[in-house]
Amino acid sequence: MLSRLHPLPKLVLCSLWLAASMLIFDAAFQLLTIGIVAAFLILLERRSPLLVLALMVPFALFGFGFLTTSVLFRQESDFALRMAERAPFGGAAFSAGLVLFLRAIACGMISALFVLTTDPGALIKAMMVSWRLSPRIGYSLFSALHLTRDLASEAHEMRLARAMRRGRPPRRIPGPMETISLVVPLLAFAIRRASRMAIAMEARGLGALGHRTVAGAPEIHLRDLLFTAAAATMLAAAIYGALFSNTLSKIVSTCLK
Amino acid sequence: MLEIAEPVASWQDVAVRYPYHRATAVGPVSMAIRPGERLLLLGPSGSGKSTLLQTLTGLIPQSILADVVGAVRLFGQEASARAPAQWASHVAQLFQNPEQMLCGMTVADEVAFALENQGLAASEIQRRVAAALDRVGFPHDQRDRRTMTLSGGEKQLVALAAMLAQNAPLLVIDEPTAHLAPAAASRLRSLLLASRQAARSALIVDHRLDGMLGMIDRVVAIGADGTMIDGGAPREFFRRCHATLVSNGIWVPLAVEVDAALIAAGIRLAKAPLTMSEAIATLAALNDGRRTLALEVARSLAARQLATAQASGTDNDIIAALSGVHCAPLFGPVTLRDVSLVLRRGETLAILGRNGAGKTTLGATLAGLLRPRRGRRSGPMGSICFQNPESQFLTGSVREELTAPPVDRHLAEWGLAGLGDRHPFELSQGQKRRLALATVTAGRDPPLLVLDEPTAGLDAAGKSLLSRRIDSLAGQGSAIALITHDLDFALGVCRRAVVVGEGRVLADGPIAALMRDHALLARADLEEPPVLALLRWLESCRC
Repeated sequence: MLSRLHPLPKLVLCSLWLAASMLIFDAAFQLLTIGIVAAFLILLERRSPLLVLALMVPFALFGFGFLTTSVLFRQESDFALRMAERAPFGGAAFSAGLVLFLRAIACGMISALFVLTTDPGALIKAMMVSWRLSPRIGYSLFSALHLTRDLASEAHEMRLARAMRRGRPPRRIPGPMETISLVVPLLAFAIRRASRMAIAMEARGLGALGHRTVAGAPEIHLRDLLFTAAAATMLAAAIYGALFSNTLSKIVSTCLK
Repeated sequence: MLEIAEPVASWQDVAVRYPYHRATAVGPVSMAIRPGERLLLLGPSGSGKSTLLQTLTGLIPQSILADVVGAVRLFGQEASARAPAQWASHVAQLFQNPEQMLCGMTVADEVAFALENQGLAASEIQRRVAAALDRVGFPHDQRDRRTMTLSGGEKQLVALAAMLAQNAPLLVIDEPTAHLAPAAASRLRSLLLASRQAARSALIVDHRLDGMLGMIDRVVAIGADGTMIDGGAPREFFRRCHATLVSNGIWVPLAVEVDAALIAAGIRLAKAPLTMSEAIATLAALNDGRRTLALEVARSLAARQLATAQASGTDNDIIAALSGVHCAPLFGPVTLRDVSLVLRRGETLAILGRNGAGKTTLGATLAGLLRPRRGRRSGPMGSICFQNPESQFLTGSVREELTAPPVDRHLAEWGLAGLGDRHPFELSQGQKRRLALATVTAGRDPPLLVLDEPTAGLDAAGKSLLSRRIDSLAGQGSAIALITHDLDFALGVCRRAVVVGEGRVLADGPIAALMRDHALLARADLEEPPVLALLRWLESCRC
C-alpha cells in the first residue's frame, strides 16, 4: 500500500520523522518509531517479519557502538548522560547508550521504509515535475540510484571471469583481498557506464529543447492526503508524548547552556 | 529507387582518427543516403562502420573525442550545425550494443525517453510506447521491468522499440538483430524495412543478411583498412564483388554463395538470387543438363555447411551432467525447471530458444558458475565466453588478456595483430568479441567450454575461425555448449541441440532433426535455416 503513495509527501514525512528521531532523546519515542515502521512494513506492505528483523541488524550493530561507548567511556558521552539522567533504564550511562542505540535503529528503519516502498524512477519523476529538478541532474541521480544493484551483478561476472582464469570455482563469499581487488575495476565500470549513458541520452535528445514532458509521473490522490494527515497526526502525538515526559525541554535547556 | 537531388545524409571524404592512434579508424569515405532509401553498410570487424555512423549526428567528435576530416551533411545542413541531441527528432539511432543505448530505466520509461525529450503530450507518448512495444512483440505485462534485468535479446527488443517510437525520418541501425532469435529477427527486419515509406530512410549495418537483402535498395562495403570497396544494387553488387567480400572476411548470404558456386561451375543464372527461395526457384527452372550439374554444386555446398565433426559416442566420458536442476540467474527467479542433460567428451551441443528463455542461465549452470536452486550438477568447472565480451576482460591490454603463449600468434590468428598494446575496451565490438573468444580458446584446452552468443557482431572471417577452433577443441576432447541464435552456425558445428522454452527443456536431440520440426521451431521462436531449406529441396529432387 505504501508503495502506491506519492513519493514526495512520503519523503517529507520521513524526513520530518528522521529529524524528530534525531532531536528527541527519548527511548519511548524511539521505540514507538521502530514499532510504527515495523507495523507499516509487516501489515501494510506484507513484508516478512524476518526481513524486517534482518533489516534492523546493521543499524543495531551501528547503535551497539553507541551503547558500549556510553557505558565504557562515560566522559565521551557527557551530553547523552545528562539527557538520560532521569531515564528509567538502570544507570544513566546505560540509559543514555540505550537511547542512542534505539535512535540508530529508528533512523535506519525510517530510511529503510522509504527505500523499500519507493520506486526511484517515480521519485525522480515527481521531483522533476513538482520541484523542477533539472532532467540532467534527475537522470544522473536515477542512474546513481540504480548503479548499486548493477555493480553487484558486474562484480559477480568479474569474479566468474577471474575464477575461470584460475581454473577453480569462486568462493561463495569473497575474501577481503578479493573484495579490495574488485574496487578499481568496479570504479572503472561505473565511470564507463556513466559516460555511455550520457552519450545514449544525448543521442536520444536529452536537453535538445527547453521544455520536456515527464510521462507517467505520479499524481497526488486522496489516499496521499489521508496518509499524510494520519502520519503527521501520529508524529505530532509522539512528539507531544515526548514533550509531556519533559525530555524535549531537557534537550533545549542543555543546548541553551 | 528514388532519384532526388538532395540526399538526407551524406559523407564527403570523411575520415576519423581517434586520439593517440596513428591510423584512421575509418575513411576516407564518400557516400550518401537518398530519401526513402534503405542502405546496407557492410565491412569486417574493426573497419570503422560504427564510428562512421556516430559521425552522422555529431556524437563524434562532439561527445566522443576524435579528429574528423571531410564534410558530414544531414537534411541539407552541416551535421555540426546542431548539437547531437537536437538531431534526435530527425535521426533515430540504434547502437550496436544495446547496453550502450539503454539508460537503466524501466522498459516503458526507456521507450518514452526520446519522446519526452521532444516535449510530446503525455497521452501521445503513452500511445506511441504501447504501439512500439506491440510492434516488437514485447509483452505488456513486463513493461515495468528494469532494462538491466532483461536478457541480451530482450534489451535489443526494447532498444528497437525505443527507436521505432521516435518515428524519425532517418533510422540509423547498427546490428539490429545480433542478439535476437531468428523468428524475432525476421519480424523486426520486416518491421524496419518492409513497408516502403518515401519519407523514411534507413542506414543499416548487419552481419546476418539472410532474409534482409530483398528489402535493401543499395549496398556499400568498407574494407578492413576503413576505405570503401564498392557499392551498388544488391543483386549486381554481390555477384560482382563476391570474391572481394569473401577475401575481406565479409559475410555473404547462402544464396549468393550458391550463385558464385554455380558461376564457378560454368552456370550463370539470368538473375542473381538474393534469397534461398529465389535460388531454389531458379535452380528448379533450369533445363535437365544444367540442372543435374547445378544440383551437384548445390549438394556439395550444402554438405560443407553442415557439421563435419564426428558425433560423440554414447560411451564417451561424461564431462558435465545436470540432474533435475532448477536454473536461476544471480538475484533472479528460477527460469528453467527440472533440467536433466548430459554433455560428453568431444561433444558440441547447441542451446537454442527464444529471447529470455533462460539459455544463458542454463549455460552458466552447466559450466558450474551458477549454483542450481534445486537438483544436482556434476563435473569440473567449465569456462564461459560471456554474451557481453567486455565481461571477459580483466587486464589493461589486449596482450595481457591472452595468457597462453605464443601470444603474437594467437593475436594474428584472431585478426588482432597490431592491437596488442591497446586497452581491450578501445576495440570495436567485433574485435572485442574476437578477443573474448581468444581468451577462452587460444592455447587452452578446457574440459568444458560454454560459448554464449559467440557470433553476435562477428564477421564471416571470425565465424570461420571460430568454427575451426570449435572443431579442433572438440577433436581434442573438450565438451562445448554453444548458446546461439545463429542456426546456420549451429548446424555447422553441432550435432546435438537442446531447445529451451516455456520454463523447461522442450527438446533434446540431433540438431538436424530438431530444425525440421516446424511445430517446435514455432514454439521456440526459431526458423528453419536457409541451408536446411536447400537440403529439403535437394532431397525432394532425389525422390
